[in-house]
Amino acid sequence: MQGSDSAVERVSKYLEVVKKDNPNINAVIDIDETGVLDAAAEVDKQADAGSLSGMVFTIKSNINVHGLRATCASETLKNYTAGYDAAVIRRLRDAGALILGTANMDEFASGSSGETSCFGPTKNPAVLDRIPGGSSSGSAASVAAGFCDASLGSDTGGSIRNPASHCGVSAIKPTYGHVSRYGLIDLAMSLDQIGPIARDTKTLANILDVIAGQDSKDATSIKKGDVNYSKNLNADISGLTVGVAQEFQELTDPKILDMINSKIELLEELGAEIKSVKLPHMAEALPTYYLTVFVEFFSATRKFDGRRYGKRIEEVCGREVLRRIEIGRYISQKEFSGRYYKKALQFRSLIKKELLNALNDVDVIAGPTVPKLPHRLGENIDDPLTMYAYDVLTVPANLAGIPAGVTPAGKVGGVPVGLQIQGKPLGEQAILNAMHAIETAQEAGR
Amino acid sequence: MKTIIGFEIHEHIATSTKLYCDSPTDYRDAAPNTNVCEVCTGMPGSKPHPMNQEAIDAAVEIALMLNCEIVKDPIYVQRKHYDYPDLPSGYQRTSLPIGKEGSLGGIGIWEVHLEEDPGKYEPKSGKVDFNRSGIPLVEIVTAPDLTNPEDARRFLRELVKVLQYTGKVKTEGGTMRTDTNISLEGGARVEIKNINSVKGAYKALKFEITRQKNMHKRGHAVKRETRAFVEAQMITKAMRTKEEADDYRYIPDPDIPPLLINDSKIAEIKAGMPETPQMKEKRFASEYGIKSGDAGVLASELELANAFEEVAKEVESDHAARWMVRDLKRVLEYNSLTFKDSSITTEQLVELFNMIDAHEITVKTGQKVIEMLVERPHNPREIVSELGLGKITEDNVVEEAAREAIEENQKAVDDYLSGNDGALNYVVGQVMGKTKGRADPATVLKTLKEMISRSSQ
Repeated sequence: MQGSDSAVERVSKYLEVVKKDNPNINAVIDIDETGVLDAAAEVDKQADAGSLSGMVFTIKSNINVHGLRATCASETLKNYTAGYDAAVIRRLRDAGALILGTANMDEFASGSSGETSCFGPTKNPAVLDRIPGGSSSGSAASVAAGFCDASLGSDTGGSIRNPASHCGVSAIKPTYGHVSRYGLIDLAMSLDQIGPIARDTKTLANILDVIAGQDSKDATSIKKGDVNYSKNLNADISGLTVGVAQEFQELTDPKILDMINSKIELLEELGAEIKSVKLPHMAEALPTYYLTVFVEFFSATRKFDGRRYGKRIEEVCGREVLRRIEIGRYISQKEFSGRYYKKALQFRSLIKKELLNALNDVDVIAGPTVPKLPHRLGENIDDPLTMYAYDVLTVPANLAGIPAGVTPAGKVGGVPVGLQIQGKPLGEQAILNAMHAIETAQEAGR
Repeated sequence: MKTIIGFEIHEHIATSTKLYCDSPTDYRDAAPNTNVCEVCTGMPGSKPHPMNQEAIDAAVEIALMLNCEIVKDPIYVQRKHYDYPDLPSGYQRTSLPIGKEGSLGGIGIWEVHLEEDPGKYEPKSGKVDFNRSGIPLVEIVTAPDLTNPEDARRFLRELVKVLQYTGKVKTEGGTMRTDTNISLEGGARVEIKNINSVKGAYKALKFEITRQKNMHKRGHAVKRETRAFVEAQMITKAMRTKEEADDYRYIPDPDIPPLLINDSKIAEIKAGMPETPQMKEKRFASEYGIKSGDAGVLASELELANAFEEVAKEVESDHAARWMVRDLKRVLEYNSLTFKDSSITTEQLVELFNMIDAHEITVKTGQKVIEMLVERPHNPREIVSELGLGKITEDNVVEEAAREAIEENQKAVDDYLSGNDGALNYVVGQVMGKTKGRADPATVLKTLKEMISRSSQ
């Protein structure tokens, strides 16, 4: 139970805030007022409604919520109403969570700014004239704006961590396969992962306890014994070894880096041992990531052929989505077989090996999340390579399939900056504990 | 003119659920789009469930039955992209080879792999039925080792027998789909699609050879193209030339981890798998000393072959083989039944064959009883006594019938007496008729000869 208020009271308060502020922030696409109030009333009737009883969520609009539109913020799916619940949604409902509505996003999760939605850009609640980051722009913004307790986003190359960093909230991208993707509309199937965004680590752990675990409907989902991140959450990190990679630091704006380094020092003060790790191939991560995304996204969008969902994607989508489809179509031709996608897969295993090797020596790797501050809304960035560079620090975790969390580190010129903590496969607990340690110390004024 | 023919054969695997979801595989009797879910209709966000293990095992068994090497490296499932209304995701999931380098009756088998069937599109109405979408298919690719339509037809029949032996494919007719590649010396390779039966394959090849020969005669080059077989007219029609061929943009499906088939799995499947019909035929001929033609008939159906082996434990094998091939098979075919679908048991056959062997009933009666077994789940002995078919043992009954027959057929008797031995067979037939086949023909002959010689003295 979330505090002493009834679920209906909590939902009503959130609805009031959303109705007032969302027209300005544009974080939420559809508000399911009737549905969420009914569900809340149902939760209030039950004595034991589950571990997330009364917790209010927004859900990124690329996750199927039965009865609501799953739009991917695209003209392509503007009128597509989900006919089934994603596996994570079923688990949330079973645990008593309440779904207030769907969250805005970059079209088909293809962006890092929240500007490419067909429903218009989302504002950053922490700095209203700046982008919130993306692609889970509405998810992070709705949490930051106080529209809900938490949100589910998806992270293919940083799409949960990037907006969490820019909006000053907490988030975790779990190990690939640890949370079922069943019901998540694809960007790049081998990289996509659903994860929670919230205002504190404890909430993330609670949500992860519910949504993580093997799912018989997702062939890529993995087995893990008991999942109890909230019970094992511990701010005492003495003995934790924290790796720092020079390669991550070199790419980052010095002002952001100062802030991040002060938090790494804080980790050391809290008992962690800091070690330097080498990741020489991080420069290849970005091209490897994008080649993979282009080919998989091209494949994933073939179903939007105009026969079943009204509109053929190439005819109605935005420029970035079209760019990805066309490059994917081009480089997946038979005559290039082996030159792009297969090469990307080879580099990917190299990068993965490198990260896993580094993680053999340390428990987690800490560093910046995004190398630069979010740009101002309306400051049009036409060059895709400039846009893609936002992802340079977040894509390695997806390529390696490892978990990575973000916790607020402070502000640079009034703009939030998040500390990224990457961990071993299924090493979510160590990440959450480190995040919790920082958060607890900061609350205590350190 | 040298001809080279190869096949790609697709057959539905008989699983109860689809390859990547739990939807039922019944697509024939179900109303359109009722046996579907978000997975097999490719709804946004749906993902393939882990691959149906039963289907994987069936493909491995089929590959083993075709003497293939099972691939032990990770086997990736690929996405084959093409744009057609029956394909809900815009790509078909098709595995890389599960088995390789096999053979059947001297014809090479290049590979055996698994794929999912698309839905069914009716171009006229523009409607798509996804009940079939996602049903597991095994695809068998042969080497281009066949040289004429007759051998090709024989090969396909043998292949069907092997597939039916496994019991892992849908046996109701019309599920086999075949593409064939054919090239005549000096011409390019032509692919023919839309072939749905062994007979269709034969007719398509016959037509295509004639067509290509005529083109050669007229000095036209046969170009590389894909043609469609039009069953109603038994002809092939041009579909597309190779230049317009699709690029399928194959990629390993990121939603499906590669399959791994290990030695213990292969051993487990081998242990439970039947002998091939070809091996069985050879073994029957040598082990039971029966004619190879008879062995082939017995081996044509697994259940019939098993029944023969059961029966041969109790009855002299030659005797059993003769009766099962000649009479049992005749009755089954007349009733359009397989042995499996008939209710005839090996116990019934043993009892019947023993009665015949012991001369308790005549051959004619034996044949009649087999006909009746198809409809009556009774013991042969019960049928015989119920219908009064037991052999006539009382001499006076045979004598009485013989007397009548002699009187009624004096001309035949005279012919016999004047040296035409064959004329007496006619009289024997008359006696058999009068006794409804229950008299022993040898006794009848003996009685007739005695009576005729007595009266002519």
